[in-house]
Amino acid sequence: MTLLEVHDLCSGYGALQVLFGVSLAVGEGEVVALMGSNGAGKTTTLRTITGLLKPMSGSVVLAGRPVTGVAPERLVAAGVVMVPEGRGMLRDLTVAENLAVGAYSVADKRQVAESLDRAYATFPILHERREQKAGTLSGGQQQMLALGRALMASPRLMLVDEASLGLSPVMTERAFSLIAEVNRTLGVAVLIVEQNVLALDLADRAYVLEKGQVVASAEGDAVRTMQGRLRTAYLGTPA
Amino acid sequence: MLSALVVGLAIGSAYSLLAVAVVLVYSGTKVLSLAVGEIGAFGLYAALWWHDNGLLGTKPPVWVAALVAMLIGGVLGLVVERLVMRPLLGRPALDSLVATLAVALFLALLELELYGLDPFPAPSPVGDGSVEIGGATLTVTEMTLLGVAALVALGLWLFLTRTSFGLATRATTSDPTVARLLGVPVNRVYVFSWGVAGLLSGAAAALLANVTGSLTPFSLTTALLSALAGAVIGGLDSLGGAVLGSLVVGVVSGVVGSRVDPTTSAGIVFLAVLLTLLVRPRGLFGSTRVAA
Amino acid sequence: MSRPDLPGRIGGLALVALVLLAPTFMNVPQTAIVTTAACIALVALGLDVLVGSTGQLSLAHAALYGVGCFSALGLGTHGVPWPLAFVGAAAATSVTAVVVGLPALRIRGLQVAIASLAFQQFAVQIPQKWDQVKFVGKTFDPPGYLAGVTAQYYLGVALVGLVLLVLAGLRRTRGGRSLLAVRDVEQRAAAFGVATGRTKLFAYAVSGAVTGLGGALFALQQTSVSDTQPFILRESLLLVAIVVVGGARSPVGILLAAFATKAVPGLLAPHFGQGVQLLIPVILAAVLVLSVVLQPEGIGGVLRDLRDQLSGGVDRPVPRPQQTDPVVAAARARSLREVPRPLTQRLPVPALLVARGVTVRYGGVVALADVDLEVRRSEIVGLIGANGAGKSTFFNAVSGLAPTTGSIRYRDRELLPAPAASRSARGLARTFQDMGLVRAETVRENVLLAQGWMACYPAATGMLGFGAAVGTERELRHRADQALELFGLEHLAGERLGDLPYGTMRVVEIAAAVASGPDLLLLDEASAGLTPEEAHALGDRFRALRDELGLTLVVIEHHVPLIAATCDYCYCLESGGLIAEGTPAEVTAEPRVVESFLGRGTLQPEEGVLA
Repeated sequence: MTLLEVHDLCSGYGALQVLFGVSLAVGEGEVVALMGSNGAGKTTTLRTITGLLKPMSGSVVLAGRPVTGVAPERLVAAGVVMVPEGRGMLRDLTVAENLAVGAYSVADKRQVAESLDRAYATFPILHERREQKAGTLSGGQQQMLALGRALMASPRLMLVDEASLGLSPVMTERAFSLIAEVNRTLGVAVLIVEQNVLALDLADRAYVLEKGQVVASAEGDAVRTMQGRLRTAYLGTPA
Repeated sequence: MLSALVVGLAIGSAYSLLAVAVVLVYSGTKVLSLAVGEIGAFGLYAALWWHDNGLLGTKPPVWVAALVAMLIGGVLGLVVERLVMRPLLGRPALDSLVATLAVALFLALLELELYGLDPFPAPSPVGDGSVEIGGATLTVTEMTLLGVAALVALGLWLFLTRTSFGLATRATTSDPTVARLLGVPVNRVYVFSWGVAGLLSGAAAALLANVTGSLTPFSLTTALLSALAGAVIGGLDSLGGAVLGSLVVGVVSGVVGSRVDPTTSAGIVFLAVLLTLLVRPRGLFGSTRVAA
Repeated sequence: MSRPDLPGRIGGLALVALVLLAPTFMNVPQTAIVTTAACIALVALGLDVLVGSTGQLSLAHAALYGVGCFSALGLGTHGVPWPLAFVGAAAATSVTAVVVGLPALRIRGLQVAIASLAFQQFAVQIPQKWDQVKFVGKTFDPPGYLAGVTAQYYLGVALVGLVLLVLAGLRRTRGGRSLLAVRDVEQRAAAFGVATGRTKLFAYAVSGAVTGLGGALFALQQTSVSDTQPFILRESLLLVAIVVVGGARSPVGILLAAFATKAVPGLLAPHFGQGVQLLIPVILAAVLVLSVVLQPEGIGGVLRDLRDQLSGGVDRPVPRPQQTDPVVAAARARSLREVPRPLTQRLPVPALLVARGVTVRYGGVVALADVDLEVRRSEIVGLIGANGAGKSTFFNAVSGLAPTTGSIRYRDRELLPAPAASRSARGLARTFQDMGLVRAETVRENVLLAQGWMACYPAATGMLGFGAAVGTERELRHRADQALELFGLEHLAGERLGDLPYGTMRVVEIAAAVASGPDLLLLDEASAGLTPEEAHALGDRFRALRDELGLTLVVIEHHVPLIAATCDYCYCLESGGLIAEGTPAEVTAEPRVVESFLGRGTLQPEEGVLA
């Protein structure tokens, strides 16, 4: 079943239109990659899906229910949580407090405790550093906290904005393998927005965004052979 | 000297209530509010008018009037947040400052229109008794002020560090967008900040008006400026810093103001604010974000 | 002016006639009330120079009003003739205002407002200690011809008229444009040759002088002042209300707001009782709340809309650049190359810009590390790289907006020690990723702003409208129109920049940069906000600028195909360091560049990294 459907989304900032009719879909338990170069409109797509931006036209449907323009804090309760670009640390709060904020929408205390145990089990380093201010963590630890925090709300869909930004190649690889693991063990669907082609390795489906439009998409094995198209999209030179 | 110090401390405590209101609104919404003085004053005017003239056969005692003042202050805070500040979210800080200034001006001028320029007598909500401690006379109101200020500061600190909504408030302070993406209803945090600020403003008005003798339009806004001076010196987003700063401003005004003259004490406060802004713009205990 | 403005003119003439004839139908107390309102109007006009034009909120203008008043009293009661007392009061207030403004050199926004509040609270205490001593029993007696209420009224009208003229002069010339740059694009004003600190102090000085005149008029009218009520915090807040409700940078709106607040209650009181006296300020405050929330441009905005409507449905021009042949247009605009720059700075040199070991650090973060880069004359050089690679930081380093170490030689002379504001005069111009112009102003004014360094007359002579300023301004206007024509924008010259589509704004920004007569033009993401076709056409434009106008271009682009089609040479940055250089074809084939854009995926279908 399709968990998230985005139809013909047009969006932007004031007079500046960035997206020109973007459509995409994420199935239950799927990993989908939205690829694109700088300024292609990737972050704008995520901001519009989460309701941080109101779309000019088009619709967002979550599990059959229209959620176009629904405020992000309400979308969290519906099971969609976003890991923002740059990891979105609440820098003055401790690691434990960051995790607690991640569970803010969950009323059931037992469920929160379980989520917390799971987060600490998945990322032991977070347990070790739980009293430390999030702003003082290293980039890789912050990435783990960002993922762990997103999982506190027990989401059905996780939106990950440029996990690779500012991380070394090794750390990028780690971040991607964590995302893959979260997807595999918890069955959380993931929409991952990336410039780095490594993301294609985890994706069941992929879209290429260029100047606010989807210019290519692929499913299954075809995803792995997208590099050529990406090269043209980014660099203008065929592979 | 000692009694001047005590009066200064009492006034400083009232300032600290206002400073806490300023800090609360600033941490929640990044708005510097010039309205959180007059909001309480407006509530107190209405409550005292009720106390003096009665309404529908009821004539509340002063302490009830003080509680009513707080209540009106709280509701006014909510109204201001919803009608004035909410539409301004995301606009430049100076626009919001002018908006709160406009609210203060509006309320104060309305007080002037409704109740006149003559000072409104402000009886103490806790009676007129006094105690002598070590040569200084301390009225019950002054003692209550000290107590209430300490309780409020402590209570707010507990709220921010121990409760879930307090955590949400701090998350909003840290980064409202990220907080929203994690499910924090930031609008509710804004509403709460303004509501509590209004309550505190009402409490400060009821106690301060008695210590200084009377209530006039703008008197609470003038007091707010001293509180603001304290908050700037202590750090606009630091609860403890702001409380400490406004206590110091109160003591300086009390001691220097009565011993030397008000001009000198105002001069000292002015220089202290200026020096803070120039040397350490975030204040003694504020976070670096204040200066940004 | 392209727009016919008949209704505005008729309205203005009627207003002037009304003002001049008013004393014939007002009695003595009424005339005095209006004169007092004129004092406040002057102070509000002074405040607007800061709030409206420079974006500095002052909550101390009632105190400054008091400084003007007491200065004039002090001089007047000691036998100084009144015109000198007025000048003295203006000067004293001006100096005080500059002192109040000094913190603005170090702090910004809210904090400047707080500092002014602290000054207000302190200053208002001073006369309470003083005036009993110095002023009691003494009066500022005006000479016979100014003793009458009517004469004082006309003095007030004359002063307001004079101030309006001077402020209009300020708006039209260099000084006023610098103020706007500080208000809207403070961090970047230096790129237009605007020295931010000096400009702010200039604004405080002008504001103080005008305010001081208001205070002096009040002193003359009252002859003795024993009460500080007119100078307390409440009045400072009311003044802000008058400016905001009247409309920032809208003198007529501000005059009306001042009149409504300060004269109307007094004029109505005899008819309706004292209640009215207080009610009108309450209404003003309510209107202030509304106008801040609903964000109209105050009374001034209402008047503007009204005038636009009355002058009939003028056809709005198409908000897009007109199609022009880039080569022909550029050839026609060759006179843009004639700039008042010493010959030594115009001689051809092979390497225009040589950067060696350029490093930019923000706190602990290294944004640019040890970059070597060379730009030869008449080349189009591309700068590519992923998000956060340091491309814009390099532009900031060159234009002096980032803390930079290393060496950047421009025309064989070291650039780094030169203040940012001096670099446009040396032939550097740039655009910004997210538009660095003043949206509230017209297209033409923005181009004039970018040419700021060529307007080398004292700001004061421009304001007063004499000397070299007049001729220089005429030439600069001609030049600005030429630059607009070059980009097919001449039909939009009078439009407000903020009303145009984003893509058009970006073209205006390039036009403004070209108008500033650069040798080296730095364009940051010129194609952002353009449609793919427009982006493609940009390439021809770049080549025309190089071939016909002899400009050298460095272009940051995300749209790499545009780079490939346009550039002679290309650099690629990654994480603040240079990773490749060469022709576009060489660079985009470079494995490290490919990796930087695509990631280091080895992409083998059978063995995924996580399989």
